[in-house]
Amino acid sequence: MAAEKPAPAKVLYCGVCGLPAEYCEFGPDFERCKPWLRAHAPGVYPDELVASSSGGDDKDVGKVGERLQGVSISTADGSTSAGGASASSKTEEVKRLPGGKLKKKDKQEVIIEKIVRNKRKCVTVVKGLDLFGVKLSDASKKLGKKFATGASVVKGPTEKEQIDVQGDISYDVVDFITATWPDVPESAVYFIEDGRKVAAA
Amino acid sequence: MFKKFSSEDISGQNQVKASVQRRIRQSIAEEYPLLEPLLEDMLPKKSPMIVVKCQNHLNLVVVNNVPLFFNIRDGPYMPTLRLLHQYPNIMKKFQVDRGAIKFVLSGANIMCPGLTSPGGVLDNEVEEETPVAIMAEGKQHALAIGFTKMSAKDISTINKGIGVDNMHYLNDGLWKMERLE
Repeated sequence: MAAEKPAPAKVLYCGVCGLPAEYCEFGPDFERCKPWLRAHAPGVYPDELVASSSGGDDKDVGKVGERLQGVSISTADGSTSAGGASASSKTEEVKRLPGGKLKKKDKQEVIIEKIVRNKRKCVTVVKGLDLFGVKLSDASKKLGKKFATGASVVKGPTEKEQIDVQGDISYDVVDFITATWPDVPESAVYFIEDGRKVAAA
Repeated sequence: MFKKFSSEDISGQNQVKASVQRRIRQSIAEEYPLLEPLLEDMLPKKSPMIVVKCQNHLNLVVVNNVPLFFNIRDGPYMPTLRLLHQYPNIMKKFQVDRGAIKFVLSGANIMCPGLTSPGGVLDNEVEEETPVAIMAEGKQHALAIGFTKMSAKDISTINKGIGVDNMHYLNDGLWKMERLE
C-alpha cells in the first residue's frame, strides 16, 4: 500500500474463535479462548478474568461487566490519542482531494463512433447530445426517420445514455445534427477514428 | 441475513466485464467517498472482479477470492466486516449499549432503545435506508453492519421497534467465509 493512503487498521482476531479479541466474551466459547487471550492479547481483558478458568455464575458475569467497562474507558483514552493522529492525516487527504481528483466537468461535445458489428454491418453511436439539452428519445426518433433505420437510446458505459443508430451514417449525421439542433455547433462534433478523437469540421 | 450462509447458497459466479466493474466501483465510491483513494488497491483494475450471485437476490463482490462487498437487489454496496475493521471510518456509525451486543451477535435486528439508551450513540445525520456500521459500547471495532429502517431522528423520537436491520454481523455465515474459491 502506498504511504499517503490511510493504512488499514490491524485488528487482532482471536486465534480460537476468529472474532476480534474484544468480542471473545460474546463468542461461542469464551472459556476456550482464554488461554489464547492470555498469551496473545494481554490488556484486552483484566488479567484475573482471563486467568479464572471457571466462573460461569451470573454474579461473576455482572462483575466482569463492571470491570470490563473500567477497561473500556482506559482503552478509549488510548484510542482518542490515536484518533487525533488519524484526524491530522484526514485533513491532508481532504486537501489533496480537491487538487488532483476534482471531477472534470463534462465538456459539451457530441461524439460519433462507428462500431463494426459484422464485416459489412455497423452501428453508429452518437454520444453527448443530451449535454446540449436535446431530448434523446426525440433525437433517436428523428435520426431513425431521416436515415430510415432503427435508432434507439441505449445506456452506455457508466450510466450515460447514448443513441445507437443502425448502419453507417457517420458522414451525413454531422450535417443532420447541426441542421436540426442549431444549439450544436459543428466544432463540437467529433469522430472517433482508430481510438482517436478527430474533429468533424 | 447471513445467519445461515455457506457455499451451498451460491447460485452462480462469474467474472464481470470491465464496464460492470466500472459501475460497481463507481457506486462504491459514491457511497463511501473516504474509500475512493483506496479503491485502486482494493479493486485493482488488473485483477478480475468476480460477482457471486446467491439466493435472495444477494450479490457478493469478490476480488482475489476475498469477499469485499455485498448488496441486495439493486441496493447500496456494503463492505464486509473484515474490510470495515480495516477502514473503520468509511461508514456512519451507530453504537448500541452493552446489553444489546449478545442479541446483535446472534443476528437480531437493532431495536431503537438499544441505540437511545445511555450506552448508545446515534449519528443524527443518518437518513433512513442507509448502511451504517454498528459499534458497541466499550468496544473499538464494529460488530455488525446494518441498514437503517428509520432516520436517526425518528429513532430517537419514536424509540420503539426495529431501528436498523442487521445485515451482517460477527460470526455469521459471511464472516466465516474468509476466502471463497
